[in-house]
Amino acid sequence: MPSTIKVEIKRQSSPDSSPITEKFEIPYRPGMNITSLLGEIALNPVDVTGKSTTPITYDSNCLEEICGSCAMLINGKASMACSALVDKLTGPNKDQTITLAPLSKFPVVRDLAVDRSVLFENLKKVKAWVPIDGTYDLGTGPRQFPQVQEQRYPLSNCISCCCCMEVCPQFNDVTNFVGAATIAQAKLFNMDPAGAVLAEDRLRALAGDGGIQECGFAQNCVQACPKGLPLTEAISDMGRDVFVQQVKDLFTR
Amino acid sequence: MATAAPPAPPATPQLRGVQPLRAGEGHSFFWRRLHSLTGIVPIGAFLVEHIISNFEAINGPLAYAQQVKFLNSLPLVRLLEWAFIFIPLAYHALYGVFIAVRGRSNVNVYPWAGNWMYLTQRITGIIALLYIGQHVWRQRFSGVMLPEHPGAAFAKVQHELSNPWMLAIYVIAMIATTWHFAYGIWLFAAKWGITPGDKARKRFGYVCAAGGAGLCLMGLISIYAFVGPKYQNAPEDVMPEQPAGITLPAPENPVSGSTNPAPSSLQQ
Repeated sequence: MPSTIKVEIKRQSSPDSSPITEKFEIPYRPGMNITSLLGEIALNPVDVTGKSTTPITYDSNCLEEICGSCAMLINGKASMACSALVDKLTGPNKDQTITLAPLSKFPVVRDLAVDRSVLFENLKKVKAWVPIDGTYDLGTGPRQFPQVQEQRYPLSNCISCCCCMEVCPQFNDVTNFVGAATIAQAKLFNMDPAGAVLAEDRLRALAGDGGIQECGFAQNCVQACPKGLPLTEAISDMGRDVFVQQVKDLFTR
Repeated sequence: MATAAPPAPPATPQLRGVQPLRAGEGHSFFWRRLHSLTGIVPIGAFLVEHIISNFEAINGPLAYAQQVKFLNSLPLVRLLEWAFIFIPLAYHALYGVFIAVRGRSNVNVYPWAGNWMYLTQRITGIIALLYIGQHVWRQRFSGVMLPEHPGAAFAKVQHELSNPWMLAIYVIAMIATTWHFAYGIWLFAAKWGITPGDKARKRFGYVCAAGGAGLCLMGLISIYAFVGPKYQNAPEDVMPEQPAGITLPAPENPVSGSTNPAPSSLQQ
C-alpha cells in the first residue's frame, strides 16, 4: 500500500489569470475519493516542494453525486469528484499521479470551479419547467399514469453536472450546441401531463441555431453521464418530435 | 380595469465560452436535416444503383456497355443527373465539410466506439469527397464521353485501374464510401427518431453493417472484374458506330433460312 498520493492540479486564481500546475503529495487513507483528497489539501495547503499555497477552490455541496456541482476533469476525463475513488485512479501499482483540472469547455471561475450558467440559460430557453405558478388556484394537477412516470423518472435524475456537454465533440464555441442535458429535460417536461402545454414551445426552441440538429450522435454523453440518463434515446425522440413540429408549423402557421 | 403588464423576462446575461441556445432562431435545423436526408435520397439511392450497375462488369465489356447505354437512355437523363446526383451531392459534400470543421473530436480522451464512429464518419466523408471529385471529372467529364459512346465504358475504367495507385485509390474509396453510407443510414435512423431505443439502434446497426459490407463487397468484386485476368485488354469500344446500312429496311428477298421476316406490305 502506498503511503502517499501524488496529485497534479491545474489552478488559476481568477477568470483571466493564466493557469498554473501545482503538485501535491498527500497522506493515503483507504477509501479516499477526490473530495476527501481535496479536503486533505485544504487542511494542509502545502505543495510538494514545501511551498505554502491556498486551498483548492471547487464547487461542491452534497458530496454524494446528487447535486452535480463537483464535476471536473479527473485524469483528463469529466467525472464527479465525490464519486471518483482514489484507489481506481492511481493505476495498477497504485503509484500514478492523479491529475485534476477544471472542465475545459466552461469558463473558469477559480481553480476547479467553473461557470456552468450556459446550462441554466439553455434550460430557460426550452422552458424546462411545469407552468403552475398562477395568481389563482389551479386545482389538482392532471393524472399521470405510472407508465409515463416510469419513462420520465430516469430523465428526472439529471443533476446538471454538465459532464454530457463537456465530453460532446459538438459542444463547443463554434456550434454553441445546446447539449444533451437540456434536450433530455425538454423531453422530461414534454411528457409531463401539465408541462406538455409548453411542448410546442420547447420543440420550436430546440430547432433554433445550436439546437438538436447539431448533435453528431457520437454518444459520448450517454457514456459519461454519472446518473445513467438515457440521453441518446431522448435526443432521438426529441429529434423526431422537433422535425414533426417543424413540418406542422410549415403548413399550419 | 388596470392590468399589470407581465414582468419582462430577465435578459440573458452575457456569458463567456459556449453560448446558450438561440431558441427558434436561424435555419440551421432545415439545412442540417436536408444534409441528412440528401445522404439517403437521392445520393445513397444513387450509390446503391451505381454499385449494382457496375456489378454488371463481372459479365464483361458488352454487358457493362449495355448498362451504361440503358442509364443514358433514361428520359431527361441530363436533368436527372443534375437534379438527383450532382446538385444534391455537391450540397451534401460542402455542408458535410462545414459540419466536420465545426466538430472538436476528442477520441484521444474518450476512446469510445460511438466517438470513433463520429470521427470515422467525418474522415470517410472527406475521403469520399476527394475521390468523387476526381472520379466525376475523369470518368464523366473528360476522356471518352460515355453518354455518346457507352461501348467504351469498360475500356475507359480498365485503363484507369491499370495504374496501381489509382487501383488503390478506388479500393480505399469504395470502403470509405460504403462505410460512410452504411453508418449514415444508421445515423439517419437515430437522429430522426426512427430507432430511439438502445436495442432498436443496436439491431439496426447490424442491419446497416451487413448492408454496407454487402455493398462494399459488390463494389470490390466489380473492381476486380476490370483488373482480373478474365477481361484483360478489353476492346476500346464494344458498340462501335454502326454502318449506315444497318438502319435500312430488311431485304426484300431474304435468303432461305434467314430469321428476317418476310417484308411487310408497307415495305413492298
